[in-house]
Amino acid sequence: MNSRVVKIAIPVVGASVLLVVAFVGWFVISAWWSNPPPVLGFGEGPEQPIAFPHTVHVSDAGLDCQFCHRTVSTDEAATIPAVAQCLFCHGFDKIDGRLSTSETAQEELAKLIADLGEPQQPINWNRVYRLPDHVQFVHAPHIQQGISCSTCHGEIGEMQVVKQVRNLKMRDCVDCHRDNGAPTDCSTCHY
Amino acid sequence: MGLTRRRFLQWAGATGIGAVVFNGCRVPDHEIQVQSPVQIPEDLVTGRDNYYATVIQGPSSSEGLLVRVMEGRAKKVEGNPDYPMNTGKHGLRAEALLQAAYHPDRIKTPLRRVAKGGPYRPIGWPEAIGELTRVLNEADPSRVVLATAPIRGVLADVTHRFADSYGARLIGFDPLDQTVLRAAMKRVFGQDALPDFDIARTGYLLSFGSDFLGTWLDPTHFARGYGEFRQGDGERGYLVQVDSRFSPTAAAADQWVYVTPGSEGLLAMAMIHTIVSDGLGDGAAASALTGGRGASALSAFTPSAVAERVFGETGGGAERIRKMARDFASKEHGQALAIGGGSAGAYANGLFNLTAIYALNHLVGAVDPPNGGGLVFNPPSDEPRITAAPLREWKQLIGDMRAGNVDVLLVRDANIDYGLPGSLGTREALGKVGTIVSFSSFLDETTVLADLILPGSTPLEEWGTDIPDPGPGYRTVAFQQPVINPFHGTLSFGDVLLQTGRELGFGDQLPWATMRDAVRDTARALHETGGGSVTQPTFPEFWKRALERGGWWDMNATAGAASAPPRLPTATVLPKLAGDENQYPFFLVPYEAHGIGAGGFAHLPWVQSAPDPITTVAWATWVDVNPTTARELNLHQDDIVIVGAPNGRFLEAAVYVNPATPPHVVSIPFGGGHEHFTGVAAKRGANVLDILEDSEDTETGALAWAGTRVRLTKTRNRVKLPKLEGNELAVQLPGEEVIEVQHVSR
Repeated sequence: MNSRVVKIAIPVVGASVLLVVAFVGWFVISAWWSNPPPVLGFGEGPEQPIAFPHTVHVSDAGLDCQFCHRTVSTDEAATIPAVAQCLFCHGFDKIDGRLSTSETAQEELAKLIADLGEPQQPINWNRVYRLPDHVQFVHAPHIQQGISCSTCHGEIGEMQVVKQVRNLKMRDCVDCHRDNGAPTDCSTCHY
Repeated sequence: MGLTRRRFLQWAGATGIGAVVFNGCRVPDHEIQVQSPVQIPEDLVTGRDNYYATVIQGPSSSEGLLVRVMEGRAKKVEGNPDYPMNTGKHGLRAEALLQAAYHPDRIKTPLRRVAKGGPYRPIGWPEAIGELTRVLNEADPSRVVLATAPIRGVLADVTHRFADSYGARLIGFDPLDQTVLRAAMKRVFGQDALPDFDIARTGYLLSFGSDFLGTWLDPTHFARGYGEFRQGDGERGYLVQVDSRFSPTAAAADQWVYVTPGSEGLLAMAMIHTIVSDGLGDGAAASALTGGRGASALSAFTPSAVAERVFGETGGGAERIRKMARDFASKEHGQALAIGGGSAGAYANGLFNLTAIYALNHLVGAVDPPNGGGLVFNPPSDEPRITAAPLREWKQLIGDMRAGNVDVLLVRDANIDYGLPGSLGTREALGKVGTIVSFSSFLDETTVLADLILPGSTPLEEWGTDIPDPGPGYRTVAFQQPVINPFHGTLSFGDVLLQTGRELGFGDQLPWATMRDAVRDTARALHETGGGSVTQPTFPEFWKRALERGGWWDMNATAGAASAPPRLPTATVLPKLAGDENQYPFFLVPYEAHGIGAGGFAHLPWVQSAPDPITTVAWATWVDVNPTTARELNLHQDDIVIVGAPNGRFLEAAVYVNPATPPHVVSIPFGGGHEHFTGVAAKRGANVLDILEDSEDTETGALAWAGTRVRLTKTRNRVKLPKLEGNELAVQLPGEEVIEVQHVSR
């Protein structure tokens, strides 16, 4: 191999490798300290089994968060609504289609609503927010203190696909607790 | 670096170990996924419950309820303390509504027969409604019949509009209809609705045949008044029960007066004669009742002339009648009130009986008296209601069916194959109907003959209203709301009618998308009155409050006065019992069973297992037989006897030797003997309705269900009746000397 080419190639390859390593390092550190940078599809919300549009339900229909996430003000988890609750409103769609008119909506609802008389199936949604096992987070006291859902979850009503908008790392939690005069003892979250 | 065999194996091994290690690091699915369950589990997680107010309407009863709901399931039914009819109490049938909703034998989806007489195939609702629309489109409306159990409120309005728009014949069905009582109210008081009885403030209550503490009309409502009557602030009321059967009301009475079946009216007329001739009652009323002729107009009813017929073998003489009349007319106990119904109105002379009984009230000022304690009339209502048609109309309809003049029969909770007398041949007639469509939630005897089944909801799952009849004496509208989502793929009858009506093209007459919209319209009209128990500035607030309270009522909206007393008959009308007295020596006095009624609640296990208040028998049909009669016929407790009627029909039931049963009377509860109607009711007991003669009240045409004579034939079979009485060893309580215990062999 020509030594001149080698002399040029080695720094170029080395610089490229360093660049890649630096990029990976930056990506990992960013993801570690905050959210993954929005590249290569990272940072987007996960694809869900039913393309449920919060935009339609929150912004257009004006539903309150607690209409579906029923236990957010009373319990640990906000809970994902049961299929039966979707059918509070969509139960008659199969009969007269009076709620959902668009073709997309009909296609997505067809996944939700079994034929009447057939058993409904549970839906496995992909989590958007997930905290480590050693963190105990209880929704109820936060809502009861008047912290709005959007403080942590962002403007859900404007999201076609829900994604994580806040890193929810320990520093984030502690800062918020400190700013709002909430306890910052370790045992507040780690018990 | 060449690839050697050793190196290949090393790489392969390293790759395998890496795969295992890195797979172990993968986040498990259950951490990156969260599941929406099918049903709603949040309430289970929190352990909290919700209470929703609703109402259940029976043919003549109305009970406001509060239903406890957890995890989307109804758990317990309680009475609504606000609702004027039952004020916090509730009956056995309301309690068992939970079992209707969660019954394992409910029809879960629309069904259609593959071919005439073939098996059923489950279908979806669009297909079911499409099929119903097709059937109705192709039929001649004048040959279509819509038969339903009695309905009040919004559903009655929707049903009327549907039938009228389409042109179908609408007919109500109840095996033990109140046609005679309604006719008596019209004749004696000029009222179109059933009255309320202010039992709480009555001093002397004279009841003829009406088991108002057991099953008659609205026993939960009456029992509230009875509690005050006996244990209220005032003097303890005095109750006399005139009956040919020892009913729970007779058991609670101060006096039980046995009368020969069908002679209740005769006794009442003789009492009127005494009151008029002795000048004890209201003179103006006496004059009106007798056409100004006084006691001479009632000469056919002197106590001495009727005493033997009235009391029969019990031997009460004319003096007993006179004493009853004087006690009734005296003010010793306070306001007197006479009520009657049940078996007293179920003979060929039923209207004669009830006319005489209720006429007594005119003589003692019991018609809406100023201090209470009498009859209270409800304000007239222009809301449509569907009442049960008398047997005479049903006979005509069965004849039309048999002649092939009915193409389509729509049936909602009208189990006519079970509930009409067997001699009518209802099943054969139903076989001649082109298409039968049932809206029942259960496969009862009529529904199994249907070609198309569109299963309805149970009362806990549907919207509606109720205008109680009898009501509390003022305008009342109860709201029925679904306290749970439909547990299966069912749709309420009203919603099916609304959708089918739109498909048929008369949406103009049915201007509501759903029953909920129809109920909201009713609520909106009440809101606009601006008065009553719920007043709110805006309609949404009114709607919420009215649903929370279970209804709306206006205590100022009371009824007008009753009409003047009618002219009483001057001659006796006889009960005309079917069957020769020598061949068929026993009066058959059937009665509505404590829980299962006339059979409509036989599919509910709690109701079936509730012991009869008198005999303690449950889950069976039995024949009450007097001990002397039993000895004469060599019958013993638990012997199976054949009860034969003059029309050749018979049933088999076990003997219950009852010392309170008169010697020439046998009593059998209604409600048993279903062929179908779920595994709980099927093949259990016997159906008395099946053996009854199809005799009618001569004036109204209602079924004279107590007007059949029977004979008893012993068989060699025995069965141990399931009952509480005598099955537990009685134990003497220490220190309770007053209780005398007789040990029984187990």
